[in-house]
Amino acid sequence: MKQNNMLAMILAGGRGSRLHELTNKVAKPAVSYGGKYRIVDFPLSNCANSGIDVVGVLTQYESVLLNSYVAAGQRWGLDTKDSGVYVLPPREKADAGLDVYRGTADAISQNIDFIDSYNPEYLLILSGDHIYKMNYAKMLDYHKEHNADATIAVIGVPIKEASRFGIMNTDETGRILEFEEKPAQPKSNLASMGIYIFNWKLLRKLLVSDMKNPDSHHDFGKDIIPTLLNDGRTLVAYQFKGYWKDVGTIDSLWEANMDLLDEKNELDLNDPTWKIYTEDVSALPQYIGPNASINRAFITQGCIVKGEVKNSVLFTGATVGEGAKVIDSVLMPGAIVEDGAVVTRALVADGIRIGKDAVVGSADSENILLVAKRVKGVE
Amino acid sequence: MQAHRPIGAFSFFGRYRVIDFPVSNMTNSGMDRIYVYVRERPRSLTEHLGTGRHYNINSKRGRLQIMFSEKSLVNDVYNTDIADYAENLDIISRSHYPYVIIAPSYMIFKQDFSALLDTHIESGADVTLLYHKVDNAREKFLNCDVLNLNKQKGVLSIEKNRGNTKDRSIFMDTYVMSKDLFIELVVQAQRLSSMYTLPQILNLNCENLDVRGVAHRGYFATITDFKSYYDANLSLLDLKQAQDLFDEEWPIYTRTTDSCPTQYFAGSDVHNSVIANGCLVEGTVENSVIGRCCQIKKGAVVRNSVVLANSVIGEGVHIENQVVDKWAQIIHAKEVIADPDKPGYVKRDDTL
Repeated sequence: MKQNNMLAMILAGGRGSRLHELTNKVAKPAVSYGGKYRIVDFPLSNCANSGIDVVGVLTQYESVLLNSYVAAGQRWGLDTKDSGVYVLPPREKADAGLDVYRGTADAISQNIDFIDSYNPEYLLILSGDHIYKMNYAKMLDYHKEHNADATIAVIGVPIKEASRFGIMNTDETGRILEFEEKPAQPKSNLASMGIYIFNWKLLRKLLVSDMKNPDSHHDFGKDIIPTLLNDGRTLVAYQFKGYWKDVGTIDSLWEANMDLLDEKNELDLNDPTWKIYTEDVSALPQYIGPNASINRAFITQGCIVKGEVKNSVLFTGATVGEGAKVIDSVLMPGAIVEDGAVVTRALVADGIRIGKDAVVGSADSENILLVAKRVKGVE
Repeated sequence: MQAHRPIGAFSFFGRYRVIDFPVSNMTNSGMDRIYVYVRERPRSLTEHLGTGRHYNINSKRGRLQIMFSEKSLVNDVYNTDIADYAENLDIISRSHYPYVIIAPSYMIFKQDFSALLDTHIESGADVTLLYHKVDNAREKFLNCDVLNLNKQKGVLSIEKNRGNTKDRSIFMDTYVMSKDLFIELVVQAQRLSSMYTLPQILNLNCENLDVRGVAHRGYFATITDFKSYYDANLSLLDLKQAQDLFDEEWPIYTRTTDSCPTQYFAGSDVHNSVIANGCLVEGTVENSVIGRCCQIKKGAVVRNSVVLANSVIGEGVHIENQVVDKWAQIIHAKEVIADPDKPGYVKRDDTL
């Protein structure tokens, strides 16, 4: 942790209920994205590339897969001496019973002892359910330059969407004057990304008193940030420019995957200077059959494409049979589309089989169809 | 291609190196003490093998060791496998394992070595040799050794394939024997002649030792020259062959480069090909193997070719029957077409 004296905590505890069956058995950060990644690979890789080598991952809901996945720190190069990825589920303590994390701030509060053992000067809080690339070391530089007590990363959103977000109103220097959660009349278009840097000593004090407050929601946005503002502390907004996508619904997860097909995709996973690391899988390079037809697609190792693939993303080991058509769709790892089947505007979950000649989804559907159960073929 | 690296380090089938096959076979078989012998241009190979961790070798109990040996500049006849072993005999004798399994780094095949070892021990043989029956030995495998077997699969002799018969048992340069016998043979070879190779010294001992052959089944390719390298890569475009060699239960490990999935743009036209990750495909690819992070630009046509990693096939460029080495860029030359029987080679780092 010597590099920048900053420890990162990824909040990965959410249910992700709007992803339905995709999160039936796994936490949202473990959900697949982009052909070969899991959502949590993004904050973890960003940390590794930013020189942050101690990362705590706060998990809660259905965390077995996520726990074992992130524990292998070497996947992101977070395995040098004194570094690592630490899974932090709720635990029973000597002076308190086993309790769930009651809010984003509470998750940190319950792990004060973990953070103290590293004694960092700064604490970086990240959410585990966004797709983006960011250099947190640059954000820390900004935080130090402004002598801030806390820095919040913000991104410009279209003003007509601003009411969906926590909006920051700032002065010309970037100092935050006001913070409004989902305002009906937004005064600015700078939305909080849920990424914060705090001076640890100060935050620690606030968390300790917040824990004792029975009226608190124990939430950063609802409690900690407003308290800092009211106390006259220096909060600054760090403007992020780049691709940033929430993948909390089936539609937005599908959209985020489709964005990868753009010629000028802002996310640019191909950039060798900022690689996104993930679990290394032993699989053959993708095989494209003699009668295959591919038009705008993002395909990874282990895939076998014998049919038509158009405007689609195929994840590891997905297969498309002879005469089958996959259009405007996302096939998650191991999804099988048998001969002659047609899949349109759908997101097919891990390992799901679409039977021979079956027809799934339609071109003019308003929402994306989530296929999470086997579809029988046509007899 | 050998100008830059030994055959074991050759890129193969998009994302592998030839050495991945013998090493993965060994680690999948539960062998965790592996010695890799290298004589020249070791950089690519050592970089690729590293500590061997990605082959699933146990980090505490296992070890992948690279054994260098000095290449003789005086006379190439001195550069034999026996010489490599002799130079490292002290390490071999100190090891506490009773058996030695030797596998080649220039052949592609899948083999469970622990099953082979069991067969060897059960048979009571002194030496077990792995072979593959072929019926095209007149035209292929001309640089390989062949076994002459009797009806009980006992090995009568080992000799070079002179291409005079089509049906042959090709020796896969794979041996199982006790460590002590191995050391004896190495010492004997050195005493008799500096030119002797292990197959030759074994051949000399076929009468007084119990040498048996065990047949190998499944995909098998040898990479002994440029054409066989080209053919081996393209032979795996047959999905059935590829699925025979690459088994989910018997993974072939390699070093990851963390490349992202491959992007196909509108207008790309790909058939009967295998493409590694990290590529950007805008053009046409047919019957070809494309390595990692290659760019096939708009209007480019790649046919019957093997394109190694990080290469660029520029706009409107047409290549056929080529092996394009890493980092090459074919941009200005618009047509690079070779005879199907004599595939061409584009040098590493070259710009055409």
